[in-house]
Amino acid sequence: MSDRLYKLIARVMNVSVSKISDGTGPESIESWTSFNGYVLLYELEHEFKVKFTLDEAIDVKTVADIKRHLKNHGVILND
Amino acid sequence: MDTESKLSYYINKANVISDYKFEKKIRIAILGSFTVNGLEEVLRVKSAEKKIECITYIGGYNQYNQEILNQSSNLYRFVPDITFLILDIRSIMGNLFYVPYSLSVQQRQDFIEKKVEDLCNLAKIFTNSSKSKLVITNFSVPSYSPYGIFETKTEYGFHDMIRDLNVKLTNAFKNVDSVYIYDFNRFVSLHGEKNVFDFQQFHFGDIKVSLDHIPYLAHDLMSYIIAVTGLSKKCIVLDLDNTLWGGIAGEDGFDGINLGPTPPGNAYVELQRHILALHQRGIILAINSKNNLEEAIKIIKDHPYMILREENFACLKINWDDKVSNMKEIADELNIGLDSMVFFDDDPINREYMRMNLPQVFTVELPPDPSHYAVLIQSMNEFNVWKITDEDTKRGKMYAQQHERKKLETSTPNLEEFLKQLELRVSIKKADPFTIPRISQLTLKTNQFNLTTKRYQEEDIARFVSDDKYLVGSAQVEDKFGDNGITGVFIVRKDTPKEWSIDTFLLSCRVMGREIEKGILGHIIKEAKKSGVEKIKAQFIPSKKNKPIENFLPNCGFRKEGEYWIYSLNSTFIIPDYLKVSA
Repeated sequence: MSDRLYKLIARVMNVSVSKISDGTGPESIESWTSFNGYVLLYELEHEFKVKFTLDEAIDVKTVADIKRHLKNHGVILND
Repeated sequence: MDTESKLSYYINKANVISDYKFEKKIRIAILGSFTVNGLEEVLRVKSAEKKIECITYIGGYNQYNQEILNQSSNLYRFVPDITFLILDIRSIMGNLFYVPYSLSVQQRQDFIEKKVEDLCNLAKIFTNSSKSKLVITNFSVPSYSPYGIFETKTEYGFHDMIRDLNVKLTNAFKNVDSVYIYDFNRFVSLHGEKNVFDFQQFHFGDIKVSLDHIPYLAHDLMSYIIAVTGLSKKCIVLDLDNTLWGGIAGEDGFDGINLGPTPPGNAYVELQRHILALHQRGIILAINSKNNLEEAIKIIKDHPYMILREENFACLKINWDDKVSNMKEIADELNIGLDSMVFFDDDPINREYMRMNLPQVFTVELPPDPSHYAVLIQSMNEFNVWKITDEDTKRGKMYAQQHERKKLETSTPNLEEFLKQLELRVSIKKADPFTIPRISQLTLKTNQFNLTTKRYQEEDIARFVSDDKYLVGSAQVEDKFGDNGITGVFIVRKDTPKEWSIDTFLLSCRVMGREIEKGILGHIIKEAKKSGVEKIKAQFIPSKKNKPIENFLPNCGFRKEGEYWIYSLNSTFIIPDYLKVSA
């Protein structure tokens, strides 16, 4: 499942999957602009059939944050 | 367009469009009162798919006023061809959007008047400072009102304010060629307010068009880009079986096909009605179908529920030939480029075959369910032109009449007999303010039957008309099948009282081959004789395309003298007796 998540992030940010890890965020990927951050959330919602709250959306700073919020919505990611 | 790709598809693709083979270039500026990120990427990708290289400029967030008012702003330095000013009602109304009834009726009216004035002034400053076309979005009327059900009882209420703003803006620019109002309110009606406006995205990033609707908005805005780049399509080439009617003519027969008021036949009737409407605004129709001609024609002519009839089609290729060869023949017969044609066929194999062999033809991807055909035609933006002229609205009909002429030509034993049967009437008129635009257009567009290929703008023609030394005229050609409109032009210069020279002499390809030219020349000779002129001088300036007029002068009795051709007014000029010329 993490693979599915990483692939999605890599596609939206237009980088290779190898660049994605739990610590990845706007600091480490140049294309992770605030706008691409919205696009990522929107894609995640479609992909995992969830709806983030505004608080959750604001809270997302890294891939680890995404995993945590997905887990709260019942999405199980196998590492 | 019924379905759209996701925004991320376009954002990724925008990074890899440098390898497209571009044929056109356009510079687009996008100014917005809110976050319009993503729109630029989608427009670039959609343009690239149409072989348009799109260079973009994105204005600063809600900086549109400053950028337009400051003559040395980056906007003006960018020199756009087209500028999209994307505004939203919250930015325009400010706090009043939430508390509209804090103002009196009069104050609400004054507020809207002021906003219209501000926007008009802004547009005026922009159009005075830039050659760019300007497209301004109008405003979505929200479903909510603090007055609830009483909203519709309220004089000049919240919703009335926005509707009035939209009407006033549209009216303000109705006659301004370079400014268009894009009906964003209609866009929201089509897709639904709840879908277009996502509160979370709005609160999170001031996004007022949700991310999944940006591609749809870009699709609409592409209509303007297609119109500005002149890539509009002129002709729809249609299949018959399972496209214009349900079933197979050859198998189901006249009575067995699905076409009529009940399902599924009503879906095809609906499609035909929309196609007829396009035809009436000037889109040429043609058929490219594998069928037995007699069976298919019987349906087209006699089926009680057919909407499109034989007279609506400019060309009918109903045979068992290859569809690609048919397509090329249609383009040749209509004398239009393959790149201005649309192919509409239910069969995916035919579509793929067409795309592989003639990629310049726009092959429409049809959904499997025919009840969606009509909405697909409605959503196509390929037919958009910046301006629909009277001449455009007649075009579809004129081409269809041309088809009737061709039929007569092939069924008549010789050319003279054919021309007699056409009952040709040529009416010649001196140029006036009504005909000057068309005369200029013909000098700019006509290549084949054009003696000198001199190109003149409207102001040049107007100058000749006001000068006594020139005789400028146009010829309108009619026959028993209909009116071809103004299709001939001449400009004669009166060099001396005894000698005139022909500066321009041309005929549109629409009426070539009917000796109309002799009718027009006969008129010039008559006028010259009346004025006591002794000779008319003319020149043939060869171009790559004007071979058809090469022998016109010697055939009409002109004699070569040096680089000029001279016609002596002593000789008698005979106008063919099948031409009725009036002046």
